[in-house]
Amino acid sequence: MDAAHIRNFSIIAHIDHGKTTLSDRLLHRTGTVATRDMEDQLLDAMDLERERGITIKAHPVTMLYTAKNGEEYELNLIDTPGHVDFAYEVSRSLSACEGALLIVDAAQGVEAQTVANVHLAMKQNLHIIPIINKIDLPHANIPMARQQLEDILAIPGDDAILASAKEGIGIEEILEAIVARIPAPKINPLETFQALIFDSYFDTYKGVVILVRVTAGELRPGMHVKMLHSGRSVEIKEVGSFNPKPYTRAKLENGETGYITANIKTPREVKVGDTITDPRNPSEELPGFQEIQPMVYSGIYPINTADFEGLKVAISKLQLNDSALTFQTESSAALGFGFRCGFLGLLHMEIVQERLRREFDMDIIATYPSVIYRVKLTGGVVKEVDNPAFLPDVTYIEQIEEPIVKAFVICPGENLGDIMGLISEKRGVIKNTETLDTRRVMLTCRIPMNEILIDFHDRIKSITRGYGSMDYEQAGYEVSDMVKLDMLVNNEPMDAFSSLVHRSKAENRGRTLAAKLKEVIPRQQFQIAIQGAIGGKIIARETISAMRKDVTAKCYGGDISRKRKLLEKQKEGKKRMKSIGSVEIPQEAFIEVLKTN
Amino acid sequence: MRGGGHTRVRIELNPQERALKLSTVPEPVRSLYVHVPFCAHKCEYCAFYSAPPSGGVIERYVGALVKELELIAAECRPSTVFFGGGTPSLLTLKQWETVLSAMARLGLSGAPEFSVECNPATVSADKARLLRDHGVNRISMGVQSLDEGLLERLGRVHTRDMVFRSFDVLRAAGFSNVNVDLMFAIPGQTPEIWDQTLTEALALGSEHLSCYEVIYEEDTPLYQQLQAGAFAVDEALACSMYDHLRERAAAAGFQQYEVANWARNSATAGPVVELPGVSLAGIPSHACRHNVGYWRGLDSFGVGPSASEYVRGLRSRNWANTDLWITQLERGRRAKEFAEALSPRARAGEMAAFGLRMNAGWPWEEFRTRTGLDLRDAEWREDLVGLVRRGWVEETETHVRLTPQGLRFADAVGEILIRVDEAPPEAVRAPARTLRLEAMP
Repeated sequence: MDAAHIRNFSIIAHIDHGKTTLSDRLLHRTGTVATRDMEDQLLDAMDLERERGITIKAHPVTMLYTAKNGEEYELNLIDTPGHVDFAYEVSRSLSACEGALLIVDAAQGVEAQTVANVHLAMKQNLHIIPIINKIDLPHANIPMARQQLEDILAIPGDDAILASAKEGIGIEEILEAIVARIPAPKINPLETFQALIFDSYFDTYKGVVILVRVTAGELRPGMHVKMLHSGRSVEIKEVGSFNPKPYTRAKLENGETGYITANIKTPREVKVGDTITDPRNPSEELPGFQEIQPMVYSGIYPINTADFEGLKVAISKLQLNDSALTFQTESSAALGFGFRCGFLGLLHMEIVQERLRREFDMDIIATYPSVIYRVKLTGGVVKEVDNPAFLPDVTYIEQIEEPIVKAFVICPGENLGDIMGLISEKRGVIKNTETLDTRRVMLTCRIPMNEILIDFHDRIKSITRGYGSMDYEQAGYEVSDMVKLDMLVNNEPMDAFSSLVHRSKAENRGRTLAAKLKEVIPRQQFQIAIQGAIGGKIIARETISAMRKDVTAKCYGGDISRKRKLLEKQKEGKKRMKSIGSVEIPQEAFIEVLKTN
Repeated sequence: MRGGGHTRVRIELNPQERALKLSTVPEPVRSLYVHVPFCAHKCEYCAFYSAPPSGGVIERYVGALVKELELIAAECRPSTVFFGGGTPSLLTLKQWETVLSAMARLGLSGAPEFSVECNPATVSADKARLLRDHGVNRISMGVQSLDEGLLERLGRVHTRDMVFRSFDVLRAAGFSNVNVDLMFAIPGQTPEIWDQTLTEALALGSEHLSCYEVIYEEDTPLYQQLQAGAFAVDEALACSMYDHLRERAAAAGFQQYEVANWARNSATAGPVVELPGVSLAGIPSHACRHNVGYWRGLDSFGVGPSASEYVRGLRSRNWANTDLWITQLERGRRAKEFAEALSPRARAGEMAAFGLRMNAGWPWEEFRTRTGLDLRDAEWREDLVGLVRRGWVEETETHVRLTPQGLRFADAVGEILIRVDEAPPEAVRAPARTLRLEAMP
C-alpha cells in the first residue's frame, strides 16, 4: 500500500471506558473479523488481561477500510499497554503511530490513567482524536466530558466524536476521522531501509516474532538485516500482519506495521525501541531507545522449597514473553532458595506473580518489595541498591537517595480530606489541586515511590469506595533519611524481613512486624526476644515467654497411637522449620507475616 | 523394692492352654481392656467415646461384648483386666453378672489385677459386692474434684458427698486397692480449692492417685468455651498446682511412678502381678500393672466400641460407633476401624517415648530384649546426649530415665525419640490377622 493510504493509530483509555469494545467494533465494521468469529475482547488474549481489563502486550491489527471518498485505506491499530509501568513500551508503540483515539467515558469523565497516557501521546506529537463514549448511558454527561477534555487535557472539546461502541453509534464517523484527521506516514527519502521494533513475543515454532513499523524502504523475506542496539544481524524468514491472527505477506512497505521472524530463539536479543536496518548501508538509529530498567524488586520464593527448579523453569518461560522481567537466584535463611526479580512497576510485579500462580500453578511467596536506592558512599562512589541485604555499612554511607514519582489522584470531593491525609501519611507533597467537575478533584503530588509500593492504591480505592483512581510517572531521585530496619530473633537477623524505610516510619513498622511475628512464632522451651533494630539501636521489642511444660497428662493404651501420630506430625514439621538464633520457626510463620505485610 | 511380704502369683496354664502352647501357637496375650461406652451424662472435658444409654442398647451391647470376648478368648489369658469407659459402673447387676460369668466360662477370669472404673454416683453396695465376688480387685473412682462448684462446672453427675459414701461402700465390700482420679487447672479452680481437694482426697487413704491437668480436647464443650474466650489457660498456675500436688502426694506417702500417677508402696501389699519380660524394680507395689503394661509396650487386647489393642505387632482400633460395632459382632465379626503395623525401628521409638513417661525410665537391657534395638546405639545417641545436656534425661549404668524437669517435657522428649516410618505405616481395613483370629475356635 502506498504510504498516503496508510494510517497508524492507537487507542488511549482508562480501564472500562470502552477501548476493547471499540476495537472490536472497528474490526467488525471493516470486515476484518466476521460477526460469527466475534469473541468479546478480541485483542486481550491473556485471561489476566481480560479479567483486569488491561492490556499487557501490544497487539497490532491491520484493517482495510473503504472510505466515503471511495478509496481503500490500510488502518493499523496498535493496541498499547495501558499502564505507566509499561511507559517505555507505550512510548515505543506510540512512536509507531501518527495518531491516537482518546476515549473518555461520558459518565465517568477523565481519569488519572487517561491523563498519564495523554501526556505520553502528546510527547510523541500524535494527532489525538477525542471520543466521548457510552453516550447511550442514562447518566451520560456530554457537556461535562467536553469541558474536562479542555480543562484537564487542553484538547478542544468540540472536536470530540460522540459514540457508543456498545450500540455501534459513531463508528463510521470514527473511521472517517482516522482517515481524514490522522496524517499519513511521512515518506522518508532514505537510500536504505529502516524499521522500528515496538514489541515482540515468543512463538514456540517461529521463535521471536518482532513487531515492527517500517519507517523507510521495505522488508521482505530473505533480506539480511541488523538490529543496531543489540548488534545482531539476522535473515528475515517471514513477514506479515495481523487480522488479528497473524498472516504472511510478501513485504512490509514504508509506513506499514506488521511482524517479521528470523529464527531468533532468545527474546532478550530483541530490544524494544531498537532500529532494524541494512547492515551494509545502515541508517541512523531511531530516537528514543532505552535499555529497559526494572524499577521495583522483590524476592519470589517457592512455598515448598522442593519447587525451586520448577519455579526457575516457570520464570524463564514467563520471561520469553516479558523481557522486562529480570531475575537472578538469591537465597534467604528464612525462605531457602528463590529469585530476586526486577519489575517495571507495581502492576508489572502483580501481574508476574499472578501469572506464576495461575498459568504455571506455582505456590509462591514474595518478599517486601523494594525500589532502587542510590547510595552515595563516602568516597563519592554511587551504588544502586535494590535489596536491603546489600546495603553497605552505614559508616560508609554519605547519603541515600530514593526514587520519587509524580502521582495523579482523582477522587470525589467528599473524600478529599482523607486522601490528603493518606498522601501526607505516605510522605507525599501535594503540588496541585484541580476541580474537575462538580464531584471530582484531581490532586497532583510528589511522593516517594517506596510509599506507594504496598497499599497506596488499595487505600485510595477503599477511601473512595472504588470511585478514586491513581496513576504515576517517574520523577527522579531525592535525598532521603532512609534507614535499614532489621528484625531480630534472639539477636539474629531474619533476612526476609529486613527493609529500607524512612526513619520516621521505622519505629511503627518495627512494632507492627514484631507484634505479627510474636503471633506466628511458636513458643519454645526458652524465652524468645523479637526485636526491630536500626543498626545497633533497638526500636521495638516483643517477648515470647518460654514454655514451662510440654506433656500430655493422660496417656494410656487407647491414646498411644493417636499421640504418636501427633508427635510424628510435629517431628516432620520441625524438619521444615528454619533455625534462626536457635529458634525454630516454621516457614509458614514467615509466609503468614509476608502475606499480611 | 518388692519386700518379703509379697506373694507371687504364677498363672497356671490349663490343659487346653498347654496344648495350644505346644502346637506352636504364640504366647497368649496377658492384658485385656474392655470399653463400656455409656455415660449418664457427658462431661464437659471428655473426648472419650461414649453415648447416653437409650432403649435396649446396653442389653445389645452386653450380648455383643460376650461375642467379642469369645472371639479373642483363645488367644488371651489376662494377668490384668481393665474395664474403662464411659462409665462401666452404669451396667446393672444383671448385666455385670452376664459379662463376668461369660468371662469365667471363657477362661478370662482370675486376673491378679482386675480393675473397674466407677463413677461415685453409680456405686451401690450390691454392685460392689458382685464385682468383688467375681474377682474384681481394683476400683478406679472418677472423683475429679471435691469442690461442688467445679463438679458442676465439669458436668459431673456426682456430688462430693457421694464420693465419701461410695468410698466407704467400696471398702466395706472388701476393696483394698482403690484409685482416686483428680483433675487440676480446671477453669475457676484456685490454688486454695486445689489444696482443699487434695487434703480431702488424700484423707480418704486410697492406694492409688491419678491426677491430670485439664486437657482441652477438640470437640468438647470445654474446648469450645476456651476457643470462645470464656477463660484463659494459665500455664504458670497449672505448673504450680502440679508442684503442689507432688509435694502433697509425697508427704502422704505416695510414690510417683508416671507423669500423672502415684501409688503406695507397701510391704503388706497384696499379690504382686508380674508382667512378662517387665522389670518392676522402682515401680511402687500398688502401681496399676495394666497401665504399666501399656507404657512398656506389652501386647493387650481391647474389646468394646472404640477400644484399641496391640497384638503381635498389629495395632488396631474398634469402630467408635456402638451400633456398628454391635451389628458386626452380631454377624460374628470384630468391628475394626483401622489397623497399622510399625517397622521395628518406629515401634522401638514409640516404646522409648512412652516408656520414659514412667519415673523408673527404661532399663537399657530390657529395652534391648523387648525391641531388638539398643537405645545406647548410634540411632539414638545424639538425641540422648542432647537431652542429657538439656537436663531432661539422666543415664545410669543400668537405666535411662527422665529427670523431674524432663517429666514436664515428656512430649518434647517423645517427639525427639520417635522414628517416623518412611512410607506411612501399613494401614489395613479388616486386617488379615484379625480374620485369622476370628477363624479360631
